[in-house]
Amino acid sequence: MSVTRRQLLWATAGIGAAGALAACSSGKSDSGTTAISGSAGEQPRTGGTLKVGALGRASAITRDPHGTQANESDYLIISLLYDTLTVPGETTNTAPRLAASWKPSEDLRTWRFTIADGAKFHDGTPVTADDVVWSLKRLRNTPSGKSRLPGIQPEGISAEDARTVVLVSDYPNAELPLLTRLTTFVLKKDTKDDALAGAPGTGPFKLDWYRDGNARLVRNDDWYGGRPPLDAIEVRIFESPQAMANALLAGQIDLASNVGAVAARTAEARKDVQILRRPNDMAMPIVMRTADGPFADARVREALRLAVDRDAMVKQVLSGYGTVANDILGTGDPVYAKDIPQRGRDLERAKQLLAEAGFDTGRTYDLLTTEDIAGLAESATLFATQVREAGVKINVVKQDSKVFWDATWLKGSLYTSYWGTNDSVVFFASKTMLSDAGQNEAGWNEPTFDEAYRKAMGTADATERGKLLHRLQEIEYAKSGYLLWGMADGIDLAASAVRGLPKLPGYGRVQLEKTWLAR
Amino acid sequence: MAGPLTDTATAGGATAPPALPPAVRALGRAARLTAKRLLLLLVLLAAVFAAVSLLPGDAANATSERGESAADLAARRAALGLDRPLPERFWDWMTGLPAGDLGTTAHGQPVTSVLSGPFPNTLLLGGLALAASILGALALGSWSALRPGGRADRTIAVLATTAFALPEFVLSVGLLLVLSLWTGWLPAVTLTGPDGAPASWDMIVLPALALAIPQIGWNTRIVRGALADQAALPHVRAAVLDGLPRHRILTHHMLPGALPAIAVATATSAGMLLGGAVVVETLFNYPGIGAVLAGAIADRDTPLVAGVVAATGAAISTLLLLADLVRDRVLGAAR
Repeated sequence: MSVTRRQLLWATAGIGAAGALAACSSGKSDSGTTAISGSAGEQPRTGGTLKVGALGRASAITRDPHGTQANESDYLIISLLYDTLTVPGETTNTAPRLAASWKPSEDLRTWRFTIADGAKFHDGTPVTADDVVWSLKRLRNTPSGKSRLPGIQPEGISAEDARTVVLVSDYPNAELPLLTRLTTFVLKKDTKDDALAGAPGTGPFKLDWYRDGNARLVRNDDWYGGRPPLDAIEVRIFESPQAMANALLAGQIDLASNVGAVAARTAEARKDVQILRRPNDMAMPIVMRTADGPFADARVREALRLAVDRDAMVKQVLSGYGTVANDILGTGDPVYAKDIPQRGRDLERAKQLLAEAGFDTGRTYDLLTTEDIAGLAESATLFATQVREAGVKINVVKQDSKVFWDATWLKGSLYTSYWGTNDSVVFFASKTMLSDAGQNEAGWNEPTFDEAYRKAMGTADATERGKLLHRLQEIEYAKSGYLLWGMADGIDLAASAVRGLPKLPGYGRVQLEKTWLAR
Repeated sequence: MAGPLTDTATAGGATAPPALPPAVRALGRAARLTAKRLLLLLVLLAAVFAAVSLLPGDAANATSERGESAADLAARRAALGLDRPLPERFWDWMTGLPAGDLGTTAHGQPVTSVLSGPFPNTLLLGGLALAASILGALALGSWSALRPGGRADRTIAVLATTAFALPEFVLSVGLLLVLSLWTGWLPAVTLTGPDGAPASWDMIVLPALALAIPQIGWNTRIVRGALADQAALPHVRAAVLDGLPRHRILTHHMLPGALPAIAVATATSAGMLLGGAVVVETLFNYPGIGAVLAGAIADRDTPLVAGVVAATGAAISTLLLLADLVRDRVLGAAR
């Protein structure tokens, strides 16, 4: 499990989480919990210290906002201290933060970001475009810089005036602001690498103390985004979700962030604990190679999509903490095509398609998987059992994580994958489905899809772009190499007095500036 | 881990030239034992370097982000020095040791700063557990040895075996449920304070118990056995026939002779305690070195793994050395 958090965390660097638009909620009720934390009638109270547990490994600690952050605890601390240009939002998937607004040029290649009024560092100095440019360049020059700011060269980052930052993309990109959401933390210009530990940020909280992955942060009264209600936030690092759940059940912490379905099940009997579900947190698609091999025939892939029992997958693999999905990735996106009919189980049709395609049902096919995240290997096993009823024999092979990422990912003919940020259809299209995408997991090459994508990205008008993106999703639904059976919820546990917690999946969980305590 | 390290040093004084004064001879023996321990530690560290490199994958892909190109990975590998041959990396790391430089982790932090909080915490936890296990084992073992075959002796024998056979995981969960979640007597996990140590003293009780109980079981049997051996010796029987009080026979006639066996058992326990710490620290979120080690291995972070092994190895070696010296002294005196 340890290896993996890194991958799922950064699976999506550069793009992020969003939309609490989990349209379809699965059978399980919200146990009245979201009702508590969402009670609109209550006035936020100021004061109090929120104790938050977050997952992380002591061996992987980093204080560098632009470093490789394998720890959720590090990312949480950094996000409270420093601001990114934009953040995942509830109604749009890109909401303003340090950048108050942004505007593209006519050709959608040059984007101008305006810094928020009153934004200043914790030491009182105002934030200038130079600080932002320096920080973005520093980010771009890290080993992962190219994948964090795709299509943006270091020379394409400049300051136009004291409050305006200009980003130039190599190609028209109507969704460029998406890239600035998760990793664009702003430091003061010329912050030295050895001074990162105490470097002032611009965020809603200031550093009181930090030690070995644990920290205490106090309110930044001058925050340009409004005064946060909490006096302080204490972040505690937890190696295991089980220990974190125990700490919450014993009242030692107030919030167990991203603690998972197992902990939620243990806590179900406790009246004094809120179980918070953040839909569309994690995708665990099954990848069927389209370029060659036994699944290259689109009819075979369609047959497998019809052979899976999605409800049973959600119920058994996710303990019910999730929703059924429809083979289109980016389920949390406001433009996600909810009107495309939901695929159900149809074994007869599946068998018929397999016969038409001349699929060899005498053979046994390997499905490669890992135990990187909870439920992944289980999903493979259950899937294998289900498709057997359609006459397809599948043997599940669990690989060591390192071996999997090295030898199977992007190459295998049938394997499980997972993605931690699911609020953008465009993100998955560009990263994993264009014929020349660097992470084309299924080796998919569909000229009509590429065409739809390029047209959409070159279209400034939002309505028109929405239509094009709908077309793109129809093609993905019909032909891609993905079988996406469901979406796992992100699950937090909280003490009963905690209010105003973030409801966004993925990285949205770190937005604690509106959280308050009713006690 | 401590197993192969313990069975040395029985022949401590046998080879010393008779002409030298006893103090010099003792010093020479001590120096030889120390050198042996140091050499073993060195071999262990080399083995660690080799073992980590045998695992699939390396620190570069363990710390990279999904989708980095092969060129980016190669750059990362070069930055971490992973493109150099293993003996060279080992030599580099070893030459930094005398200056207290343990290298840099795969995540760019100095190894010494990653270990500076956790190592003292583990020493504290391990030290408390070790002290508890020695005291507990001495008390139970003596109680039992003074009443051979009695009901107390039999009960203690069964309990000791059970305690030692319990996996740490099961024991920890049991303690957690009974002493914390059901009764609320003790905190369920350890939270770290601004100084890097547990925020309050009672947080250390559960992990210390979880570590100590199996060792109390193990050591009770050793103490009981060693005392039984002593009880059979003529001078102890003579003392019994002389009608000396039981506690006096125990402290003056039995324990001194049993000391070498107990000392070695204690040193062995220290090794097992540190092994158990990996599981127990994670379960109780104790900010120690065990958790660091588990993560470092997952990341193939060789300098950090080696740093942990060097620190714990040094601690255990010191204890083993002390045990060797105790044994050497008692056996030497006896001869």
